[in-house]
Amino acid sequence: MSEPKEPNAPIDAAKSVTEGRRPETVHSDSGRKPEMVVPKGRIMPREDRLAPPAWEGGRSVAPNADGFSTIGKRNRKVEGLAKVTGRAVYADDITLPRMLHAKLLRSIHAHARIVSIDASAALAMPGVHAVITGKDLPVYFGIIPWTEDEQALCETKARYVGDAIAAVAADSELIAEEALRCIRVQYEVLPAVIDIDSALEHPEWQVNEKAETGNISKQVRLEFGAVDAALANSDEVVEGHYWYEGSTHAPIEPHCCVAEFDATGFLTVHSSTQVAHYLHRDLAKVLGLPTQRVRVIQPTVGGAFGGKSEPFSLEFCAAKLAMITGRPVKILYTREEVFYAHRGRHPMRLHYRTGISKDGMLTGTDAKVQIDGGAYSSFGLVTTYYSGQLLGAPYVLPTYRFDSTRVFTNKPCCGPKRGHGSVQPRFAFECQIDKLAERIGMDPIAVRRKNLIGESTRTVNGMRVTSNGFPQCLDAVEKASGWKDKFRRLPYGCGIGVAGSMYISGTNYCIYPNEMPQSAVQLKLDRSGRATVFSGCSDIGQGVDSVLAYIVCEELGLTLRDVRVVAADTDLTPVDLGSYSSRETFMVGNACLDAARHLREKIAATLAERWQCGKGEVVLANGVACCTSEPREKAMTVREAFQLAEAKHGTLGSVGWYQSPKLGGDYRGGTIGASPAYSFTAHVAEVECDPETGQVRVCDIWVAHDCGRALNPVTVEGQMEGSAYMGFAEAILETMEYKAAAPGHAFGLHHGPSLLDYRLPTSLDTPRLHSIIIESVDPEGPYGAKEAGEGPLHPSVPAIANAIHDALGIRCDALPFSPPSVLGMLRIGDARAAWEAARAGFHKTGAR
Amino acid sequence: MDSTKTVCHLRVNGDAHTCAVTPGTTLLEALRYALALTGSKQGCDKGDCGACTVLIDSHPVLACITLAMACEGREIRTVEGLAAHGRPHPLQDAFDRTGGAQCGFCTPGVLMSAIALLERDPAPTREAIAQALSGNLCRCTGYTKIYEAVELAAKEMRERA
Amino acid sequence: MLTLPVFEWVRPQSLDEALAFFTQAPAESLWIAGGTDAVPNLKHRLHEPKRVISLAGVRELHYVREDDAGMHLGALLTLRELSEHARVRAEYPALAKAASLVASPQIRNMGTLGGNLCLDTRCTYYNQSYFWREALGFCLKKDGTKCHVVPQGKRCVAAHSSDVAPVLIALGAEVEIATPPAQAGGAASLRRIAVDTFFVGDGVHNNVLLPGELVTRLIIPAASRGLSAGYQKLRPRGAIDFPMLSVAAAGRTQAGAFTQLRIVVSALGAKPRVLGQLDALAVGKAADEAQFSAIAAAAYKQCHPLINVPYDHEWRHEMVPVFVKRVLRDAFPKG
Repeated sequence: MSEPKEPNAPIDAAKSVTEGRRPETVHSDSGRKPEMVVPKGRIMPREDRLAPPAWEGGRSVAPNADGFSTIGKRNRKVEGLAKVTGRAVYADDITLPRMLHAKLLRSIHAHARIVSIDASAALAMPGVHAVITGKDLPVYFGIIPWTEDEQALCETKARYVGDAIAAVAADSELIAEEALRCIRVQYEVLPAVIDIDSALEHPEWQVNEKAETGNISKQVRLEFGAVDAALANSDEVVEGHYWYEGSTHAPIEPHCCVAEFDATGFLTVHSSTQVAHYLHRDLAKVLGLPTQRVRVIQPTVGGAFGGKSEPFSLEFCAAKLAMITGRPVKILYTREEVFYAHRGRHPMRLHYRTGISKDGMLTGTDAKVQIDGGAYSSFGLVTTYYSGQLLGAPYVLPTYRFDSTRVFTNKPCCGPKRGHGSVQPRFAFECQIDKLAERIGMDPIAVRRKNLIGESTRTVNGMRVTSNGFPQCLDAVEKASGWKDKFRRLPYGCGIGVAGSMYISGTNYCIYPNEMPQSAVQLKLDRSGRATVFSGCSDIGQGVDSVLAYIVCEELGLTLRDVRVVAADTDLTPVDLGSYSSRETFMVGNACLDAARHLREKIAATLAERWQCGKGEVVLANGVACCTSEPREKAMTVREAFQLAEAKHGTLGSVGWYQSPKLGGDYRGGTIGASPAYSFTAHVAEVECDPETGQVRVCDIWVAHDCGRALNPVTVEGQMEGSAYMGFAEAILETMEYKAAAPGHAFGLHHGPSLLDYRLPTSLDTPRLHSIIIESVDPEGPYGAKEAGEGPLHPSVPAIANAIHDALGIRCDALPFSPPSVLGMLRIGDARAAWEAARAGFHKTGAR
Repeated sequence: MDSTKTVCHLRVNGDAHTCAVTPGTTLLEALRYALALTGSKQGCDKGDCGACTVLIDSHPVLACITLAMACEGREIRTVEGLAAHGRPHPLQDAFDRTGGAQCGFCTPGVLMSAIALLERDPAPTREAIAQALSGNLCRCTGYTKIYEAVELAAKEMRERA
Repeated sequence: MLTLPVFEWVRPQSLDEALAFFTQAPAESLWIAGGTDAVPNLKHRLHEPKRVISLAGVRELHYVREDDAGMHLGALLTLRELSEHARVRAEYPALAKAASLVASPQIRNMGTLGGNLCLDTRCTYYNQSYFWREALGFCLKKDGTKCHVVPQGKRCVAAHSSDVAPVLIALGAEVEIATPPAQAGGAASLRRIAVDTFFVGDGVHNNVLLPGELVTRLIIPAASRGLSAGYQKLRPRGAIDFPMLSVAAAGRTQAGAFTQLRIVVSALGAKPRVLGQLDALAVGKAADEAQFSAIAAAAYKQCHPLINVPYDHEWRHEMVPVFVKRVLRDAFPKG
């Protein structure tokens, strides 16, 4: 590994490629070839979970081909029936006795000094119980300990239209809203910057005083290998300028929390968060309470996608108001406020130069990236690294450099949205590859195959890659989409495009440095035959609670209905860092496996002794324990087995945890992007474009994703389809736009903070989504599982861009691919000639 | 500030309820906060997302932009009314089996639009399902598994009938 | 949740009762039928009535009838009923189509024909929360003095956004308006005007209704039977969205040549635009692709989309001829 020379000196990564290898063949040459599993029936068989279990004196349900009774089967989710019957309790479903409702006063200016706040008229209103301002909550917080730059309510300065500056607790939302209008705020309006260029041009109009300098939030310059030489020696170099527009998560559930403070000085906050643990820490810090006197409970969460992965104003304000009034306080954001809370996809401007040899080997990439961060840091430090750290793989990229700058602007703060920081560079890079393939007259899938990084290897920037099913992903989407009959063969207006990606299964670091486990599980077995799993993990709809249950079922022979999961309650559950970085299945899954195996060992030992057989002969599956050599004679229910074990060992409980191995490049920032396992995805998108209007209809997206092993194929497909949908939405429809043209007040105002003006695709807009699960069986994942929640989003946008090129001969390098922009591009030069040339060039060289 | 509350009689899932509302109370607020029927969800405030969809006289409507008092004398159905005798409705069961509900927040509204469709068309095409659900935004699934759930439910309901 | 303001609510059971309620406090009352436009607008504090008069109980405005004069459509027909009605679909499929393209299934179950006709004009600077508009500095349609679409403009140019209105105008429909009695106890009066003249070019209040007046029915005259008609709506998504541009056409041909043609373009300014010069451009001319193009070119010159609705206005301008051609191809497929 090279010396840490960041930020200014480039890293000589010549040494770091020693472990990397360039495969000569298309397929990985390692012994263990990932198997491709395309599920036949997507709908699980009708097993009535409400019926009593079958008892046949032996294994009631045959194990599947892999020898599992639960893992890999199409299963229900533990909370599924609660959700479909309307019984699942979300934050806004909680109503407590004497509960007050609070609302936040927000800045009407993009940038203004708060001269004074007079809340006396509001306080005097009947039904108003308390008003707080920035002075009441002065402590700074921030998800990244090195960039704590937020206050629950701005004390001296508002930094965007919608920044919170006061809060009112009242008998009803209506009274609180009316009271807000009675608060008089005297502002001194300051010059504002709302885009990257003005932020850089006007360092003196500083948005955030905690900036490195001027309006610079973070700069990262890293170089691996001799990039300039590699590009100079390339047969072809493509230069591209890309714009990735900002977008937001828009979970259907708005942020909501309920806080209560009891007479013993104990604070409880129920919040729609995906990081209960970090919220717990920051609540204690900002409110000045000992952490052990704060409890955070995450109720059922109605979608998050990264948008609920840090503390927000509402949680601190509700807590403070509850402490002041002694009554429970609820804050429910309006949809408009959800747009102001934001933390969505960073807009990025990317300038790429990428080289290739005539025979299709990638040589290097030089990337310059500018990132629009909005008013605060959020995860921005990490985002800036992610804008380059996952660049090369799933391909061998022998040299590259990225120079990324995140700036502060007077807009709602950007943060981590599904595929944090790496979706934007993936778009640029996969479009670059498409252009290079065209330049050298090669099929874009063939180019990708030529550069496969393979298994058990290391990227040039020091990321350890273990299992890798990307070749199978490419094969699968090529076949399923009918690629060979379509690429450069469809009629004008119709096109097909491909892209690939790699993503992390959790990061190997906690956000605040410590040596404690990243995930933990406590498991309790009951003599009734029931298991309860306690974990701080955060189910936001992706199904991690169910993952824990599947693992317990598999290890202890239980059926799903006999497992209860208690999650994300800081009083009851051991710490898990939360639902971000696609870490849950891998990390808490491993923790759970650890806990379950401890107990399985005790039970198996007890039964082996009873049956006078080997421990290896004891099978626990589907409610039944038996000895494999004499399954009818030596069998009992698992309940009886638990009772025997309890009698022998005492009360049955266990703990399990996960801590990732030390990973990453040996340079500053080298741990960012380092993960114990990487998922791989390939997409093919097919589009129909209307050359008269510029409208692009994405008809189909084929998604093949290597998730290691699908613990439940239903939920894995759900993640794949949801990811492809969300990427498609960013490509075609969704934009975070701000009004810049109108002078004065309107400056920096969100264009349309509603679900009418921010357009989520409806059922009629969404492409047909075809998911194909690839299982590479990761050596370190639980049963071989890796992530599936974020990776499958990455190739969506470039696959669509490349398909539009195949359809119309234009290069969509700027998001969104809206009708006006597509039509505009069709008018530049002779697009039709470019389309014909691409086709002719391809057919001349043949499908290399 | 609050205008005086008046008594409102609502018939929900066959039950007669009496609750206190103001003229500005939406049906959604009355259901969720006055009657504790929290299954119907609030996502967008103003009729853009469909999470609050309930049936009034068998037709899907948006409870967040319907005034509670305008619903007196009407037959209201919500997600809580689908399951019967402690068992999920075949449509609910199908959603659970196909993974049609991820975060579950849009699900109650989707279910109500879907049940209205199945009651008038027991064998809908995928196109008809997409049309019927076009006012229900789902952020998790990409809709595919929702279609599969409705198709599965339709099949099983036909078989049962 | 976005709250509704405080107001009084009444639910009359007949038209006369409804009009009488309004007469009691004309300046402070608001009609509400399906509520799909009015309720979000109330939540945004765009209307601040003291009294809201629900028309849900006025069952007498809920019908489709046919007689020698033509087809009569009660103002309180829901948009779903209108789009699914067998006679409407048979006689005026373009109208059924326009109704079927409004927003979403739920909104078509709630929203009414009369309500869609009287839809408040829309603008990205207007259909926003009170907070947002305060941050904007308000606008001349509500609470302010300045237009943000046409900065020097004195008149509001918020966009007419009804889907049914352009088709009704193209079909030569009439609207029946009930006027409340001058004093309590008096009789309400009814008048009919062409839908074409119902709208005025002022986005603040874009129709001729006086306070207390109510649309009670639409009449498609018998003379319109057999018109070939079409409707095309441009919107970002396949559902939910208001039109970014809408075009309706209705006319007749004889031996392949136009004898009559009317084209209406909307989602431009405050009122739908009836294309001019069609007598010269179309009548007597072949209903063919070349003529469609000529008509489309004229439409391009006459229609000027603004920045009041989403998406680039210059692109929407370019879409005018595209959609005029498409609607003509729909309506006159043999052309």
